[in-house]
Amino acid sequence: MDASILLALRDPAGVPFYPVVFQALYVLTWALHAAFVLLALGSMGLSIVGTFKQKSDPIWKVMNPHLIQTGKISISILIVLGVAPLLFTQVIYDPNWYVANTLSGMWVFIFIYTLIVGYIMYYWYYYANKKIEGGGKLIGIISFAILVFAGILMHNFAVTSIMPNDWMQMYAPNGVVDTSGWTFNMEIIRLAFMVSLAVPVVGIFLQNYSRFLSTRADFSKEFVDYTASLGTKLGVVGLLISAVTFALWMLQIDYLLHPLSLAIVVGVVVLLLLVKQNKNSYITTGVLVVVALLISAMRELIRFDIMANLGYSIYEYPVNLEIPSIVMFLFTFLIMGGVGVAWLLTMAWKVGKNQGVFDGSKDVAVTKLGNYTLAIMVLWMVVYFGWGMFILFNNIL
Amino acid sequence: MDIIGQFPLFYFPEYGSAWMMGVTGTIHILASHTSVGAAMLFAFLAYKAYKENRTDLYPYMKKYGMFLLIFSYVIGSITGPGIWYTATAASPRGISALIHNFVWVWATEWVFFVYEVIGVFLLVYFIDKIDKKTHLKLTFSFALASVGTLALIIGIISFMMWPGTEAYYATGSASDAFFGTNTFPHMFLRIGFMIMLSGVIGLLISSAMRKENLELSNELTKKMGYISMLGGFLVLFFFMWYMGTLPDNAHAVFNVTKADVIQSRIILTIVFSLYFLLAVVKPQYIKTPLAGAMIFVILIAGIWPGEKLRESMRKPYVAGQYIYSNQIISRDVAGKGIKSELPIIAKKGLLQVNPFVPQNLKVITPENKLAAGELLTKMSCSNCHSLEKTGKYRPLKDRLVGMDKDGIKGILYAMGQGAFPYMPTLELPEDEYDAIAEYIASLKY
Repeated sequence: MDASILLALRDPAGVPFYPVVFQALYVLTWALHAAFVLLALGSMGLSIVGTFKQKSDPIWKVMNPHLIQTGKISISILIVLGVAPLLFTQVIYDPNWYVANTLSGMWVFIFIYTLIVGYIMYYWYYYANKKIEGGGKLIGIISFAILVFAGILMHNFAVTSIMPNDWMQMYAPNGVVDTSGWTFNMEIIRLAFMVSLAVPVVGIFLQNYSRFLSTRADFSKEFVDYTASLGTKLGVVGLLISAVTFALWMLQIDYLLHPLSLAIVVGVVVLLLLVKQNKNSYITTGVLVVVALLISAMRELIRFDIMANLGYSIYEYPVNLEIPSIVMFLFTFLIMGGVGVAWLLTMAWKVGKNQGVFDGSKDVAVTKLGNYTLAIMVLWMVVYFGWGMFILFNNIL
Repeated sequence: MDIIGQFPLFYFPEYGSAWMMGVTGTIHILASHTSVGAAMLFAFLAYKAYKENRTDLYPYMKKYGMFLLIFSYVIGSITGPGIWYTATAASPRGISALIHNFVWVWATEWVFFVYEVIGVFLLVYFIDKIDKKTHLKLTFSFALASVGTLALIIGIISFMMWPGTEAYYATGSASDAFFGTNTFPHMFLRIGFMIMLSGVIGLLISSAMRKENLELSNELTKKMGYISMLGGFLVLFFFMWYMGTLPDNAHAVFNVTKADVIQSRIILTIVFSLYFLLAVVKPQYIKTPLAGAMIFVILIAGIWPGEKLRESMRKPYVAGQYIYSNQIISRDVAGKGIKSELPIIAKKGLLQVNPFVPQNLKVITPENKLAAGELLTKMSCSNCHSLEKTGKYRPLKDRLVGMDKDGIKGILYAMGQGAFPYMPTLELPEDEYDAIAEYIASLKY
């Protein structure tokens, strides 16, 4: 596709801040989103295996409802975290994103309802399993399959968006315009690599799960040891599969010897050693986050190179600086988001560590963070209305 | 090269792609408004339970919370991005305009979303795992975060209708775009509706608890009746203010169906006033099937036509009164360096300036005239009108029934001169007018 066309497809309003910032935010938030996609896939998949063991095995009896619950919460979080990369990609790669969405318009519509049906069925699975131990097998499998299909659709949008040279052929094959929105593209090895990561992610999750519960008197040593060793097995096998599929993917697109690709390989090897030893899974998780960021950066590098080779550089996107709204975002993100989420997570951590009712009012950190969160939110509202009234009076009086 | 940034066209046969956005949007509005309203109601109930030491209220809150979690946070959180997705497929440049003006506002809203999604799980699952005071704080912060999401999205959807003043066009500032004359009335109108919906959903849950605790069920049904009445009153009150802040083109569209709209709204107001009154006076008469049916009535008779009307009143624009529904930039926005594309389209024609028109259709010939006419009609009209003889959504056939090519051309000429305030002023070269007219005439509506 001609550079002049790609450049014309950029929004004439320009971008409201420096493109590199959107690029960095994209890489960061995609990695967060992907982490929960993988945790959801891994815990859902493992929980389905668990439904076959839950009735007879006392360990799976306790663990499986937790896995189902983890899947359930992870889906919610992956959805909300997925909004951010979706937002940032549209700012700097709008030509790619909008072309992919219009070419696959029907799939876009289907994607939404696939996700709704899959997630509602997952709740059904959750309740069926709660009612009868080992229950909801079939519903669980169907919901898992539906949600995996939703993931494949998302993969289609991402792949189509980086095929600019083929867009015209997809839209008007042999000069006949097709407005049906049924364009569908897949890259099997890339998809296999991404999906394979669900196995090590759930493995590392299980190591964390075991470590977290090891301080609770109501969980036996046998339970803690079993979950840790299962986590290690899954982690090691999963990482080996992911390493092979990653190498194949890189070979296919000729990036294997790129420094970023090599850094990922090193990261995976480090992860493999840490998972195998399982000395401190929280540190392993930290390394996993770094590897996730590198993988996210790899995806971005591939896209950046494809576009740069066609003469489209995001760094040349015209900038129309928009200061007040980025100030609002930064303050909200860092202060309200930071304090608020810290409060919620601290509370969740302490409730999880505690047996019975946790008295947050006697916990200094929980009380203070809660009070700060409320005060910041009230202040936020005051600033919002003050700002709005100032702008409005200024413009209408 | 003279090209404009138009994308491939996605058209859903018989209905048009905008219709798909409408379906997702309607479901989202029910779920999202319920979630914000319920968050406020939750805070109210938690406060009451804590202050009056009403431990019997907590099981109700847990039930309400589970419903909220499944209904609002599964459906609401998926259909939210869902509107965005389907709108992207239907109106990519409209969404692009919103994104490039308001990306930081959306990113800020995302922070609130993250807080809400983690918060709702804690709110529901920790109800009997943490002390009441901390739980109360959680419900307060949750309500504030929910209202925060409304406060942030409202300026964006108000801008879709219009910026409200001329300031935005001169400065290009997101603040001027966000805080238009329409923003605050729109906000309070929706808050009223959210309060009402929280009561309506609350009635479903309170009526379902009758078997377990009759007294509490009746007490809560009464309360929900009052809450719904308050919400309903706020809706009516702020609707008056809201209507007064709409642009002329919106009133032009509204006037077409004014009598029907007013009549149906009066009927709805009477039906729901009686329903809420019944909840207050005879709470035992509010049975679960009735409460469920009333939610359905709101969805079908309230939200769907209401949102359809709001979308129609925006015509011919899709965002900020500078982008037409058919994805053409129709005016300059000096503050952003945006130029109207109408002059170049009038001069060169849509086929020449759209980069996704295949080479064989770039120049109209006797051989490709019908195909070119079909593509031009889709590009120009299909965002708002279905084109088929059997089309369902604002079909062209209803407007052009029995017309021959010259009659159709006459309408196109008039449109090119801006004869209809709710239609794009789209002036095209003669050969493109001719191809469109020939294609539409060939359909023999």
